Amino acid sequence: MTNEATIDPATLTEPVESDSGVERQEFNLLRWFSERGIFVFSAALLLFAVIFVDGFASVANITDVFNRAAPIGIVAVGMTFVVISANYLDLSVVAQVATAAVVLIGVSNDHSIPLAMGLASVIALVYGMVNGIAVGVFKANAVIVTLSTTFIGLGLLRWFSGGSIYFGPNDGIIRSFGTTEIGPFPLAMLLLIVMTVLLSLVLTRTNFGFLVRSYGSNPAATRLAGINTAWVVIGAFVITALSAMIAGFALAAFSNTAVSAMATGYDFEALAAIIVGGTSVFGGRGSVMRTLLGVVFVSMLTNILVLSGWGFGLQQMAIGFLIVAAVSVDALARKATAS
Amino acid sequence: MTQTHAIVLGEDRGDFMSRLRTMAARRPESRAVALLIVVTIAAWVAEPLALTAWEVTLGRIALIGLVALGLTAVILMGELDLSVASTLAVAGVVMASVDNLALGILAALAVGLVIGAANAFFVVVVGINSFIATLGMLFFLRGVAFVISDEEPVRLTNIEAGISFGKSFIGPLTPRMLLFILAFVVLQVFVTRVRVGREFYAVGGNRQAAFDAGIPVKRRIFTGFMISGFIAAGAGVINTLERTAADPTAGSTVLLSSFAAAIIGGVLLTGGRGSVLGTLLGATSLGILQVALTLSGVQIDVQNIVIGSVLFVAVITDPNTLRAVLRSGQSFLRGRRAATE
Repeated sequence: MTNEATIDPATLTEPVESDSGVERQEFNLLRWFSERGIFVFSAALLLFAVIFVDGFASVANITDVFNRAAPIGIVAVGMTFVVISANYLDLSVVAQVATAAVVLIGVSNDHSIPLAMGLASVIALVYGMVNGIAVGVFKANAVIVTLSTTFIGLGLLRWFSGGSIYFGPNDGIIRSFGTTEIGPFPLAMLLLIVMTVLLSLVLTRTNFGFLVRSYGSNPAATRLAGINTAWVVIGAFVITALSAMIAGFALAAFSNTAVSAMATGYDFEALAAIIVGGTSVFGGRGSVMRTLLGVVFVSMLTNILVLSGWGFGLQQMAIGFLIVAAVSVDALARKATAS
Repeated sequence: MTQTHAIVLGEDRGDFMSRLRTMAARRPESRAVALLIVVTIAAWVAEPLALTAWEVTLGRIALIGLVALGLTAVILMGELDLSVASTLAVAGVVMASVDNLALGILAALAVGLVIGAANAFFVVVVGINSFIATLGMLFFLRGVAFVISDEEPVRLTNIEAGISFGKSFIGPLTPRMLLFILAFVVLQVFVTRVRVGREFYAVGGNRQAAFDAGIPVKRRIFTGFMISGFIAAGAGVINTLERTAADPTAGSTVLLSSFAAAIIGGVLLTGGRGSVLGTLLGATSLGILQVALTLSGVQIDVQNIVIGSVLFVAVITDPNTLRAVLRSGQSFLRGRRAATE
């Protein structure tokens, strides 16, 4: 989404001439909060939870947090690429995760696991290409494009699966992957850490990662530098789609069941994790490592709310509030730097 | 006399086809008209009941179109309001929670205005991109609806009023259709004849120029979001009255169909271009499409696929994007040719 033409309404003010020390300190604080705040917040939340929340500091609960965090985290580290490329987010991960899970369990029941994984990869590539081409080549708005592909994808999935729930065999490889734990770490959490390291290297050490960041901070300049920007956007969406597929596998292995509605809310929780981690929705700035920390923070928060007996509605409110608050801090910091 | 002929615009010259082409290029509604013609002919051939039972179709159009009308005001300024889906749910739940019907309706509409103002606050004052601000709002408000309603549908205390609201009022027209028509007329007049409304186009077309020309950009954006919030809340009130209960999960499909209606109607997402009439045409074609599909016994999943595809095609076949793609394609080919020669 390149909207160079639109001007941020917040910047339409008379320029502030004063640049006193107090103001500078203030924006430094905001900038620091938006980028590094997550370390402090996570530590504070952890400390709070360990001391005040009953049942938090037990191995069983920590394992549960990790089990729930892993699929969302895998989605989030992949989607970080889309956010950094200034394309807001990919709403269709909801459909992608569910499709991968249903395909993995449904197809492996009747045929074989390699076939199921192959089919899921093809579907993931199609998702990534369709979203990426619509956004990168046709310059369409990413939110609207992925909103429509979510409905198309979920509709197709329900149509083909008949909306039924698929159960995996109790002694299969998928099941054993989902139940294996190393200490308090389920295997899926290790998968998340491996994915984080891998994608972090892609973002910081490869040409492609550099181009994603460059495109995010200035699409026009990147295009003028002779870069085929369409491929950068398509690449970001393909990475998201492949991560969503792996998340679907992890989710299917954890629950050993698959149904089309199983990933509802993943889009928002992944976005919350990315933004809280300090990746800017304005594009160009962010890191996969910090997204991991954001995932831990959001999952910990959800867990604490559940343990404290907060209902589903309050949890949703909390995550919505978190998104708006984190973005507000980022926006205010940018504004303070600009003036 | 002959001198002036040289500068006569396209409308007065040429044959019918070229005139049509000029009009299609100039009017943003052309895609909506094309889709409407295709859908009408298809429905006429395959499922004529969708056109003959026009009260049903009109009811569906009003259902899809009302939220889209409010959305148009925001999109014209180059912003986006994703929170409409939850606004609808929250307004319904608030209304049903208040025992007095009139007070409940007033409270629900006030909630809509407040939500619109809150969205505008985040966009204008804090400076968050409206996609993200209203997305966070969408999620937050869904939670609010769940909390107020205790995660269950709330029954209306005054069921009589609800039942009479669902019945036809003037001729075969139900109050919902009348309110929809009223909202359309008011908004159409507002954006074409009222100064404040016309300035929406200026804000969307070039914000800096609008600001320099003395248009209070921030206030206009506040107005736009409040219109959108108000109309979404109104849709929530109407839904609650017709169903005599408020559903906290309402509005999940509203997002898709209302955005589809506005974008098919030619409202440009980057702002400055589009019309309320276009949104009406978009909603009309979607309404006929949905009713025809339902009457032919097509599952809801397949309907979602069809409408999702229509939205997908509409958002990538924006005239401006198509021109840009064509240009880059041409320059690509030219580059190829230069490289091979």
